[in-house]
Amino acid sequence: MRRLKKIIRRSLRRFWRGLREWCGDAAYESYLRSKGMRSGPVCKLSPAEFYVEQLNRKYSRPNRCC
Amino acid sequence: MKRILNVIVWAGLAVLGACALGAIALQRGERLNAIWFVIAAVCCYLVAFRLYSSFIAARLLALDDTRATPAERHDDGRDFVPTNKWVLFGHHFAAIAGPGPLVGPTLAAQFGYLPGTLWLIAGAALAGCVQDFIILFCSIRRDGKSLGQMAREEVSERGGFIAQLAVLAIMTILLAVIALVVVNALKSSPWATFTLAMTIPIAILLGLYLRFVRPGRVLEASIMGLALIVFVVVAGQWVADSPYWSHVFTLSGLALTAAIILYGFSASALPVWLLLAPRDYLSAFIKAGAIFSLAAGILFVRPQVLMPPLTRFVDGTGPVFAGKIFPFCFITIACGAISGFHSLISSGTTPKMILREGHARLIGYGAMLLESFVGVMAMVAACAMTPGVYFAINSPPAIVGATPDAAAATITSWGYPLSAQTMTALAGAVGEQTLWNRAGGAPSLAVGMAQIFSSTIGGERLLSIWYHFAIMFEALFILTVLDAGTRVGRFMVQELGGRVWKPFGRRGWMPGILLASAVMVGLWGYFLYQGVIDPLGGINSLWPLFGIGNQLLAAVALVVATTILMKMGRLRWIWVTLLPMVWLVLITMTASYQKIFDANPRIGFLSGANTLAAQLAAGKVATAKIAESHRLIFNLRLDAVVTAVFALMILVLIVEALFQWYVILSHRRAPVLHETPYVATQWAEGFSGAGHAAAVGDAMGDD
Repeated sequence: MRRLKKIIRRSLRRFWRGLREWCGDAAYESYLRSKGMRSGPVCKLSPAEFYVEQLNRKYSRPNRCC
Repeated sequence: MKRILNVIVWAGLAVLGACALGAIALQRGERLNAIWFVIAAVCCYLVAFRLYSSFIAARLLALDDTRATPAERHDDGRDFVPTNKWVLFGHHFAAIAGPGPLVGPTLAAQFGYLPGTLWLIAGAALAGCVQDFIILFCSIRRDGKSLGQMAREEVSERGGFIAQLAVLAIMTILLAVIALVVVNALKSSPWATFTLAMTIPIAILLGLYLRFVRPGRVLEASIMGLALIVFVVVAGQWVADSPYWSHVFTLSGLALTAAIILYGFSASALPVWLLLAPRDYLSAFIKAGAIFSLAAGILFVRPQVLMPPLTRFVDGTGPVFAGKIFPFCFITIACGAISGFHSLISSGTTPKMILREGHARLIGYGAMLLESFVGVMAMVAACAMTPGVYFAINSPPAIVGATPDAAAATITSWGYPLSAQTMTALAGAVGEQTLWNRAGGAPSLAVGMAQIFSSTIGGERLLSIWYHFAIMFEALFILTVLDAGTRVGRFMVQELGGRVWKPFGRRGWMPGILLASAVMVGLWGYFLYQGVIDPLGGINSLWPLFGIGNQLLAAVALVVATTILMKMGRLRWIWVTLLPMVWLVLITMTASYQKIFDANPRIGFLSGANTLAAQLAAGKVATAKIAESHRLIFNLRLDAVVTAVFALMILVLIVEALFQWYVILSHRRAPVLHETPYVATQWAEGFSGAGHAAAVGDAMGDD
């Protein structure tokens, strides 16, 4: 029973993390964790700046299909 | 033992799939249950994924998991983001799945369920998935370069330019035709128009929330947005019931055209965070929800397929669009089996996020299989309704007659019994004023979906809510493609204009933004207007034009893929891309020729224009219709020119590629492959993406 609970909890956690990554909720966290951020002295964007910058980049190339 | 069991399971699946396909193909006289479609499709997809995609991955591409992908080498958390394969699968599927696999099969149902279903399954497994998979692989090996860049480097400079030009031209036609689908879905429908109109303020509200209140909190904003959307779908009924508001939201085709053009312009020129992005978030959630609900609904209800396997319209006299099965079934289905536009996604965002080369198989090949399955479900939804109702919704008045009685008599005379009362009752049940002559695929698909959903939850009582939910779902994500496409088109126009006058190319220069948005909107807006005033409903001319353009782009992608494989020395397996390419060239060339030169005025643009011109010369056109006839003649000739330009582009590219192939095969010059050099991955075997980073910091060489 405890094992089953553990499996369910782990599956739910995975699903939640996948959902957040899929919809873009976790994008800022990924940005902070990226190698580019960790490897050198870079100017860190705030969440609001990152959000706008990310959208501008995303919607400047084909990202939705017919 | 395990191996034997494996063989038994896969052989069993193959036999089951073959039996289901046999049932679909050979059933005559008796009604067929939709579950056979699901079994046939799923078994074929599983076998194709297990065998054919593995063969391509191992023998043709030799995917190498020890090679660092662009996401690893350039990991910047912005463009290059290492992503878990299932999350990226979801991203990729959300990007490639648009209105095409829903509308195309619905329109192709006029030939009966058989040709479309077979092409959806076979076309995806042998052509569409192959294209997506191989272009994704090629882009991964080139740091995520776009199709145009790869064509320029691997085929020729001119080839790259043609690919870029083809994208702009096809995008123009695509945006026009999907806008036409929305116009035909909303025409004279206050409920649907209100619901869709309300999604704009909802999106703006979410945009402000995500920008200023909780930046980037997409999930919570989307949940709020979804709740508001459900509310406006229900509230639409009150609007439709109110004489005043019903009048306000009852719009003609031309009024809706103007509104959509204005919307497209605004979405392109306004900051992306305000309108475009939040709409896209809502659309992605609703799209995923509606597609899985439809699949579940079909499995739960298991509807009978009422459309015959083949209708009398295989001879090319179809009321929805004219033309024989070959080539029109293939260019009408388009995206559900193979879509050129996917090559832009496969060489855009996805290759920059992939974690390992081996994941390209699931993401490139697998996501397209799922899109094909969406197409099969759309086919089931369209074919589960009475054929008479299907033809009544999708046929233009110029073919069936302007009055309900005349239309019902015409459709009945085709062998599909229908009474005017049936249509009146159905329109009342779904909360519409009329369902006659709503060409475009969206209303008939919505009726089919509503019938399946209401059989699961709510019964007849909720039919109207489900219908308007389905219309809202289709229109919402069509408009998402429309605004995102207009914005990308704007950048292309600015880039082209910037070559002539530099300031125009600056992305942040407001006069340039406004002018480029107006040019892009003007381009697709004109074709939309042309479709709306077309007495044959517009779909008859615009959808084949879109299909030709889309399949042409797929041929371009396969030409690039074949050239790259040839340079890689994979001549033995070159048929994997060469055969689909030859097939696509055959269908696009035949369709182009017929659309330009066919003697039937419903098929051939030129004969259509000549017939109208002859009627004008003979004085057979009423005075009030003379100006409109002149416009129609001009539009038909313009369509002929556009088709010819499409065909010419692919011919030039093929000649360029043939020259390249000759050079490679005759060993005149050593082939130059523009792959990035091999770099070994630093990530451990178990590393599974950015979300996993904290847990496996060691694997990344970091605590």
